[in-house]
Amino acid sequence: MAALQAWFPLLFNFSLLDEYGWRLVSGLIITVKVVGISCALGFLLAYPICLARMSSNRILSNVAMGYVTFFRGTPLLCQLYLVYYGAGQIRPELTSMGLWLFFREAYFCCIFAFALNTAAYQSEIMRGALASVPKGQIEAAKALGLSQYAIARHVVWPQAMLVAVRPFGNELITVIKASALTAIVTLLDLMGQTRFVFARTFDFSIYLYCAIIYLVMTETIRRVLGAIERRLSRHMVVNAEVPMKTRGLVLARFRRATS
Amino acid sequence: MNSTKILAMLGLAAGLVAGASSVQAKDWKTVRIGMDASYAPFESVNPKGEIVGFEVDYFNILCAKAKLTCTFQNQDWDGVIPSLLASKFDVIASSMNITAARAQKVLFSDMYMATPPALSTSAANKSDDISPAALKGKSIGTQSSTIHANYLEKFYKDSEIKLYPTQDEPNQDLASGRLDYVMGDAIVTQDFIDKHGNGCCRLVTTIKRVPEIHGPGVGAAFRPEDKDLAAIFNKAIAEADADGSFVTLEKKYFKIDIRGK
Amino acid sequence: MESVALIFGPDGWGNLLLEGAVVTVLLAVTTIPFGFGGGLLLAVLKGSKNRLLRAGCESYTTFFRGIPDLLSLFLVYFGLQALIDWLSRTLGLPFHLEVNAFVAGVVALSVVVAAYSSEVWVSAINAVPVGQIEAALSLGLTRRQTFRLVVMPQLLRVALPGLGNIWTILLKDTSLISTLAVMDLLRAASEASRFTRQPLLFYSVATLMYLVISIASGLIQSHLERRANRAYA
Repeated sequence: MAALQAWFPLLFNFSLLDEYGWRLVSGLIITVKVVGISCALGFLLAYPICLARMSSNRILSNVAMGYVTFFRGTPLLCQLYLVYYGAGQIRPELTSMGLWLFFREAYFCCIFAFALNTAAYQSEIMRGALASVPKGQIEAAKALGLSQYAIARHVVWPQAMLVAVRPFGNELITVIKASALTAIVTLLDLMGQTRFVFARTFDFSIYLYCAIIYLVMTETIRRVLGAIERRLSRHMVVNAEVPMKTRGLVLARFRRATS
Repeated sequence: MNSTKILAMLGLAAGLVAGASSVQAKDWKTVRIGMDASYAPFESVNPKGEIVGFEVDYFNILCAKAKLTCTFQNQDWDGVIPSLLASKFDVIASSMNITAARAQKVLFSDMYMATPPALSTSAANKSDDISPAALKGKSIGTQSSTIHANYLEKFYKDSEIKLYPTQDEPNQDLASGRLDYVMGDAIVTQDFIDKHGNGCCRLVTTIKRVPEIHGPGVGAAFRPEDKDLAAIFNKAIAEADADGSFVTLEKKYFKIDIRGK
Repeated sequence: MESVALIFGPDGWGNLLLEGAVVTVLLAVTTIPFGFGGGLLLAVLKGSKNRLLRAGCESYTTFFRGIPDLLSLFLVYFGLQALIDWLSRTLGLPFHLEVNAFVAGVVALSVVVAAYSSEVWVSAINAVPVGQIEAALSLGLTRRQTFRLVVMPQLLRVALPGLGNIWTILLKDTSLISTLAVMDLLRAASEASRFTRQPLLFYSVATLMYLVISIASGLIQSHLERRANRAYA
């Protein structure tokens, strides 16, 4: 019976929210802060990395590639441990460089690790988006005598943005989901507060509430993204993404063809 | 294509074997004991990956008395009670203090030890005043889901309380200067200071147990339906007291008496 | 020099780290058939005539792609055993089926990977022209033959890059299992740094080991993609 209560969501315990709901809210605020700040910093960092990666200078592009490979090829949790506990070990060195005040705080350590990590992904998104703009168009624009700025503003970015909207949105969702890891290094984010309440009450339904909040966040972003994408691509005949209905139709046709 | 198929079959077979090999009837010949092995000297992992420590030795004694074959599993603290309830193991032996909140979910054995809580701080901090007023605004770290966390929340509301997955991590953070104070078990704290402190920290004082928070002491925890298993262990605990094997083991590990009787 | 002894010395942690790396790779590899297979099954069911079934599969994907992997693993890891216990009690089975931590980890990862990969499979299925299927059927191939000989080879080719991405996610997600109970690479590094007070050393070593694993798997991946694309070169 205990097992049953531990799992089945039919037994949502609403009095739990009365007592601990504010904890989930305060956790949510931390989550939003960490995600917002690290994504913004990551974006700023991603642009130079992307430029370096596309540069004709071998050394520069290799360094950028090494950076991207490192952060994409290793678990974020491992990177977070490395930053948080690694910094603790070299405190005297960090103090002498005046950096300890920063690394002392779990909050900053998380933002630091998350920003470096997401910068690697975002730089690749930018690179892919910029590469998707046909070279001929840029040459044509140059031939027409457009300035560098005008080419970027009117030719490259509008098209690149269209390609990049979804990957950027997906990256934002990924960072929201990854931010649950901050709970492991003492930050009381949404996941951290959930663990806290569970430790107090041993009531499994708090994990389900937590899941619903994450779900609402990520699903909202996904839908908004779809809307933005449709708007950006309204001048195009073919949509960037096959809409769900069509997708179902194709599957239905497959079914009909095979039955 | 063939190689992927073979891989798939292998994976399936491995899964089934792992599942089937541990089918067991509940007549208690083998008992799986779960513990959070980040709690030296009570339980910790050595370089070979084995779990060692006082509670491992003690439960080996108890199991020998009860003629049970016992195996030990490592499980993160936050997951010990869910894992017990989910039958991932049968007993929690992890310095778990008997509290009313926990007793609603699990069945406790008789108490087998009681160690005092303690507050530690950096060696540079010479103040012995640990009143809530003195610690206002200071950061205090401890392991989450513990009596220590509950104690801090009750009495040190104005301090910045930081909760960690294990007790070892706040100790590390005290050494590195991220924390002003650490609340934890006195023996675990002293063990850390002696073995790994390098003069970083000192134990300020032990704290008197508050019954409604700390409970009477440490017990083993069982699923509520396993009353028979709890009875077996209660008997073994009494035997280990009577024939002096607890005291012998205790002397091997500690300078002070932790039986709490 | 001290750090060399900590890893390679007689009392060093090198062995445990290596074992952990093997566990990490095993976790990921064992998850593949169940995760990707489950994803394919979901993708096919998403095209089912039964509305309820379709909705069920869609909500499964929506749920598990929308919540943190850490949370999914936690829910499945503890929920699974509770479910098995409940089933065996309801069905009155005389024995107690026990899932060990490794298997539970594989199941938990499979649940997540199935949700992720089903989307890749769906778009791959959509990429196979319906005309080909019709042609194969009119040539007298059975449904099964059509799937195996016509659809599947193309499906794999289109799906491989997407599945490759999910594989790298999976490889890194195994590290989350370390917060539960399995002695994987990251867990081994945590134990070592706890015991030796050298987190910088051991987490660096673990990170590098992950890097080696993922670079190696990247090479295998591109080899597979080349093979699948042979006919299109």
